[in-house]
Amino acid sequence: MKTKAGIVVCAIVVAVLAALPWYGNSVMVQFGISVLLLATLAQGWNIIGGYTGYASFGNSVFYGLGAYGVAIAMVQLKLPFWVGMLLGLGLAVVFAALLGLAVLRLRGHYFAIATLGLAFIMTAIVSNLEIAGRNIGLVLPLLKSDLLFYELALALLVLATLTVFWLSRSRFGLGLIAIRENEEGAAVMGVNTTLYKVLAFMLSAAFSGLAGGIYAYYITFIDPVGVFDVALNVKMIIMAVFGGPGSVLGPVVGAFVLSTISEVLATKVTSFASMFFGVVIVIAVVFMPRGLADFAERFRRLRLRYFAENVRAHRL
Amino acid sequence: MSLLAQVLVSGVLLGGLYALMALGLALVWGVLNIVNLSHGALIMLGAYVTYFLFTGAHIDPFVALPITAVVLFVVGYVIERGILNYVIRGPMFNTLLITFGIEVVLTYLAQLAFSADFRAINPSYAGSNFALAGVTIPLVQVAVFAVAIGLTIAMWLFLLHTRIGRGIRASAQNLVAARLYGVDPKRIYALTFGIGAALAGVTGGLYGTVSQINPYIGGPLTAKSFAIAIIGGLDNPLGVIAGGLVLGLVEALTALYFGSTYRDVASFGVLLLVLILRPKGLLGRTT
Repeated sequence: MKTKAGIVVCAIVVAVLAALPWYGNSVMVQFGISVLLLATLAQGWNIIGGYTGYASFGNSVFYGLGAYGVAIAMVQLKLPFWVGMLLGLGLAVVFAALLGLAVLRLRGHYFAIATLGLAFIMTAIVSNLEIAGRNIGLVLPLLKSDLLFYELALALLVLATLTVFWLSRSRFGLGLIAIRENEEGAAVMGVNTTLYKVLAFMLSAAFSGLAGGIYAYYITFIDPVGVFDVALNVKMIIMAVFGGPGSVLGPVVGAFVLSTISEVLATKVTSFASMFFGVVIVIAVVFMPRGLADFAERFRRLRLRYFAENVRAHRL
Repeated sequence: MSLLAQVLVSGVLLGGLYALMALGLALVWGVLNIVNLSHGALIMLGAYVTYFLFTGAHIDPFVALPITAVVLFVVGYVIERGILNYVIRGPMFNTLLITFGIEVVLTYLAQLAFSADFRAINPSYAGSNFALAGVTIPLVQVAVFAVAIGLTIAMWLFLLHTRIGRGIRASAQNLVAARLYGVDPKRIYALTFGIGAALAGVTGGLYGTVSQINPYIGGPLTAKSFAIAIIGGLDNPLGVIAGGLVLGLVEALTALYFGSTYRDVASFGVLLLVLILRPKGLLGRTT
């Protein structure tokens, strides 16, 4: 019953969001596109980071590959956008599979750093590729239709969220959670951990890649430093962790809340906005380390003791 | 041939500074089990402290290093006691994120206080060099190398032979047992983070004499420090010397043979290879 009510509320929210281009102004639609893409990225990261427990810094690489897939297809090969999206998706997923087999054997910090190193390598490699326009980048054909990009981004976010919803109640998703909680235990219980981890990484890469593809055509200009930006990866982690990693809606809510606050700050007190993320992270990690999802669940009962308990649980 | 020799020499000299750069990160990682993403920002702060001691108070950068170390020690101690101490037992993401948050704040404050201008610490002897067997060796880089390697070895001896050093090593190996033997983990953690920050500060001061500084140098330096710590392994403080030299040489040789745009590919490629093939580091024990 509770789930049914939740689904109805979600459907209404999606409908209201989908109708935004008809009642909102162009600034709202453009802001919407960037929030929807960020939320998709956070949701994609949630699959490998939140559910499987592997802190990936490589998702910005998949985003970059998706963006370059579209750019190379449209600019160098003169193919339509849709083919570019497929190319970007393919690049991201295949790369995730190959990379996953190598680095998903690493645990904890080691995995995080291996994927971080990869992000730096990809920037440098793409900066030297002729077909990718070297470090100058590629200019895509201009399509002035924010409406299309907005609805595409929304559709992708809905797809990502439905996928995570499916994860939360499927055998596959439970296997991923088991890996996060105790990998040896999961293996003993018959979970094919390597297969599950690589599949989760590929799924995560698919959504990052598609988001990158939409971004490339929307923004019409991409360069290696811009789309393989590690800061973007950190952003998606912050949004997912702030919202609640390993929950269905947490990362989406986290992305919406943080982007909105950051946007408001950027217009009101410009100089403080860049520091905003830093301060939010520090405060959020100290006082609500399990994110908004956990906060919403337990704050009603514990009130202010919620914060005290979190601090007590993790301090030395 | 002499070009190759020149490149090798500068690679080794840079490697010494790299070793010191990674030492603080490796120490904090090994003891607190936190990968400190604000390490590069602390290096940046150290560079500015040394810079202002030099331009403002006319203190020679090498003489200013102990002052820089003390200032950064205090900064590190306060960050640990004031912030990190409250999340230290939380999940790995959280400690990683919080240090990233600190990095953002420090970078922003530095930009506000010092502006984004490029600066360099240029003492009167900055340009002097000498020739040895046809290879030109800049004096400052030799001094930087000597200080960096000397400090790394001194740190190793400190960890081996002093009471605090033993407390730090004990906390890294088994916190529960260390506690039973009377080690106060709060104090040891704060001291360790303070020492890590002080080492970062000295690195920054040295870095400022061989390279330009601005508020944004932190990020890439953190990433390189990781690479060095991983290549060298976390078990042995001297591992960072091996890691630093490997990275310094790999970067110098890549720049010579493939062009400097491939330098990052090479250094992080080595990192990935080491992680995949020998996750405990080149010198680390394989279990």
